[in-house]
Amino acid sequence: MKRAHKRAHLLIWIVLAPVIAGLFALSIVMRPGAPVNETLPDVLIEEAR
Amino acid sequence: MSHDYKAVQSTPFKKRFDLWLLIGIALYLVGFIAVSFSTQPAGESLHPVQVVIRATGTLAFLLLTFILCIGPLARFTDRFKPFLYNRRHLGVTTFLIALMHAALTIMWYHGFSETNPLVSVFISNPRYDSLSGFPFESLGFVALIILFLMAATSHDFWNANLGPGLWKTLHMGVYFAYAALVLHVALGAIQFNKDPIYVGLLAASAVTVIGLHLISGIAGLRSSHRDGLDGWLKVAAVADMEDARAKIIRPAKGEAIAVFRDGEKISAVSNVCRHQGGPLGEGKIVDGCITCPWHGFQYRMQDGQSPPPFTEKIATYATRIVDGVVYVNPEPNAPGTPQTPSQIGASA
Repeated sequence: MKRAHKRAHLLIWIVLAPVIAGLFALSIVMRPGAPVNETLPDVLIEEAR
Repeated sequence: MSHDYKAVQSTPFKKRFDLWLLIGIALYLVGFIAVSFSTQPAGESLHPVQVVIRATGTLAFLLLTFILCIGPLARFTDRFKPFLYNRRHLGVTTFLIALMHAALTIMWYHGFSETNPLVSVFISNPRYDSLSGFPFESLGFVALIILFLMAATSHDFWNANLGPGLWKTLHMGVYFAYAALVLHVALGAIQFNKDPIYVGLLAASAVTVIGLHLISGIAGLRSSHRDGLDGWLKVAAVADMEDARAKIIRPAKGEAIAVFRDGEKISAVSNVCRHQGGPLGEGKIVDGCITCPWHGFQYRMQDGQSPPPFTEKIATYATRIVDGVVYVNPEPNAPGTPQTPSQIGASA
């Protein structure tokens, strides 16, 4: 591969690496919890569990 | 090579490779479907279409991960060279599996809408300002378009007509397709499926692909400007040069040089193949010709010309042997210029 392409190749990964890692980490942290229906009595929820 | 075009270039080895690839794909799909149904929690009913969507999606992602690892790994070990040689077939296969995943997804989740299914992919979920609720399918669609462009132009016809430089630039789009796919999975499947195996696989894929490309990218740029002799660069001791293989020298300026040993002869040529810029120094000598590890393009050692009827030419370099050590002149000769090889055992 030509040296110019090698530089472009490396530059792309230097930019993509933090973008992928950052958004991936955020997507894990911001995952929604299990949905809860607050109108149901606690007894029913416990039973369901 | 330049002589003519064939729809699919095939050799017995490529045919065996394709057969094993198809067997592997069939085993993965059957295994995934069987495991999905056998481990289905009581009370849940998985539809076969949903299972096939997951099976094709995970398979396409794993194949793309493997394809992206082949290049850097082939620099560290020869075991991955056969995969490098067959990477095109792997890439087109990956696109076809991804297309199957996308077609089933669009038909299953958007096909019953009054809106055009392709438009529905982008507008049915308008939460583009949310991370956990992001319309992740749009990212998968963008990646599919990039994979399509690459699969459609993977033939030598496009390489010859676009030119190796533009062709290579276009095919670097695969890195953006991979990034879009990591986010497609992270903002999609992983948001709904709490099984840690999906998070683990995605993280392992991203760390491996990014790590390998950064390491090989930095190593590839490093200059190996060594001790010289009157402006010539030191290559290695003759005893350290493996027969039919090359040492790659990276001068401070210009392209890398591949210095080959063929029996008792030493010759040097440009490390850049005329076809797609493949690293000739990572290839070997086959039938007396330097053979590119990427797609098998060949050049004669003595003049850097492809054997007739092919017409490709690469630069040659002068070499010399002094006290059992090989040196190369970093000034290239014009492509195709005959250059007498250095003879091992002859006095300098």
